[in-house]
Amino acid sequence: MKRALVAAAASAASLALLAFVAATFGHSPLLVLRTLFEGSIGSSFAIEGTLTKSVPLLLTGLSVVIAFRAGAWNIGAEGQFIAGAIAALLASRFGNVAAILAAAIAGAAWASIASLMRLWRNAPEVLTTILLNFIAIHLLGWCVNGPLREASGQYPQSDPASSSLPAIGSVYVGVPLSIVIAVAMWWLLYRTTEGLRLRATGFNAGAARYAGINTGWQLFRAMAISGAVAGIGGAFELLGVTHRLFERFAAGYGYSGIAVALLGQLHPLANIASALFFAALTTGAGELQRSAGISSAIATLGQAMAILVVIAVSWRRRNA
Amino acid sequence: MLSVIALAVVASTPLLLCVEGELVVQRSGMINLGVEGMLLAAAFGASIGGVSGAVAAAVFVAFLFGLFTIVLDADQIVTGTALNLLVLGGTSLAYREMQSRTAQPIRLDLITPVAWIVAPIVLAVLLWSTTTGLRLRAAGEDPNAMRAARWSPARYRWMALAIEAVLVGLAGTHLALAQSNGFAENMSAGRGFIALSVVIFGRWSVRGSIAGTALFGIAAALQYALQAANQGIAFHLLLATPYVVTLLILCGVTGRVRAPEALGKSLR
Repeated sequence: MKRALVAAAASAASLALLAFVAATFGHSPLLVLRTLFEGSIGSSFAIEGTLTKSVPLLLTGLSVVIAFRAGAWNIGAEGQFIAGAIAALLASRFGNVAAILAAAIAGAAWASIASLMRLWRNAPEVLTTILLNFIAIHLLGWCVNGPLREASGQYPQSDPASSSLPAIGSVYVGVPLSIVIAVAMWWLLYRTTEGLRLRATGFNAGAARYAGINTGWQLFRAMAISGAVAGIGGAFELLGVTHRLFERFAAGYGYSGIAVALLGQLHPLANIASALFFAALTTGAGELQRSAGISSAIATLGQAMAILVVIAVSWRRRNA
Repeated sequence: MLSVIALAVVASTPLLLCVEGELVVQRSGMINLGVEGMLLAAAFGASIGGVSGAVAAAVFVAFLFGLFTIVLDADQIVTGTALNLLVLGGTSLAYREMQSRTAQPIRLDLITPVAWIVAPIVLAVLLWSTTTGLRLRAAGEDPNAMRAARWSPARYRWMALAIEAVLVGLAGTHLALAQSNGFAENMSAGRGFIALSVVIFGRWSVRGSIAGTALFGIAAALQYALQAANQGIAFHLLLATPYVVTLLILCGVTGRVRAPEALGKSLR
């Protein structure tokens, strides 16, 4: 309960700070807050936009959460997101299920490069996952300029995927599916023995090993799940939203995922709320840019402020 | 070929300065992912107040990083990520709001020789031939032993951040006023993250940092040459190569590599 209060206070504080920043640039803070509100949840169209935007944020956030719970920082959600999207595009001719499965496998494989390097050569995953992001970004650039470039060859983008995710009502199916994944992750982490072992590994690896837990295996599997979830995020974004791959396809989702995970107190269910909050902020900021001419970068600023407030108030080192 | 190298040297001057700053900081035991944001802030500061504006902006980001990681004992990765988002959002917002008040472009580029000649010599001497440097590295290897010897690791981590801020301030100045005519949104374009890779590539040494920057810089310059020669497809793979090599180095394929022992660890 206390942690929920911290998160709510951080969200409120970040909104207040945004209003303050807008005021220093001579905009009415009330107008800014009202536009953010109306642009994100003020109409059914705005709500659809917010829900759609929340999917990649939630899935990259969950990716960060499960790795963190096993004691690893996965900074590589962006690369795994890209790996998943490329695999989904290639497999989409066999239908949505095949595309999503392929994305999960590709994301898991991409993350496993980092965890294997950690287990075999003790290479820090913080550094290897960042490097793997760059490699994935350049690989994507190569794909959309080379082998996967659209048949007409006009723009550096792929042809549309052969399948696309259906909608339930007016909301595409990625929204409920990502929430199902969040609940499944919560169940895995907090309601199963394996989840307890995974969390023990992250909480105190030495004690976990002493208790007979194979911590290397736990780390490996958590990173694989982490990559798979981020990869599925890439598949959903491709099959449900963009339908095509292009160079800036992943545009910072990995780092936003860290923000989502932190505001969500590194808990899968709370992540649903924090992903929705940041998604609302992003769509609201888009409206702010269209109607008031204030840069939509204000959403990025809000993410940063929320994290800084959270860590200033409540952060305790996991090894403390 | 010569022109490619000359282009690479000048174009990768900001990268080299970031690498040098991050090298010092990592030697003192911190991973500062926020170097990306620090560079962007410095470029923004440069477009308003020249070199002093750039250094002031970089110092501000370094201060926040130290405040959260050293004083509040927050996680370095989280803090770095937050600062990157803060600067990206803040500078983009402010840039749109403000009338373009562009500082004068630099006519005579003194920063390039500083980055490639002066700074490496000064840093090599400072880090490996002075007691200050020894203690700074000790803060990155074994802060507890240092504390037992009555030296404050926090003080040396702050010192490392100050050095990084000055170097990154110069980098931002070069980026905004020597290579372009002022600020542009997200103009650091990942150089800070590349700098992190180069520090690993160079195995946390000054010589390795220069060699690594040269390699990454030449790969980037060759990209333009290849694009101009209309062999555009392969350059993406070429750009990925230095990162693959860095990964292999990190795995110890080319011999033993050891990060500073206390890298990323808090002081408590």
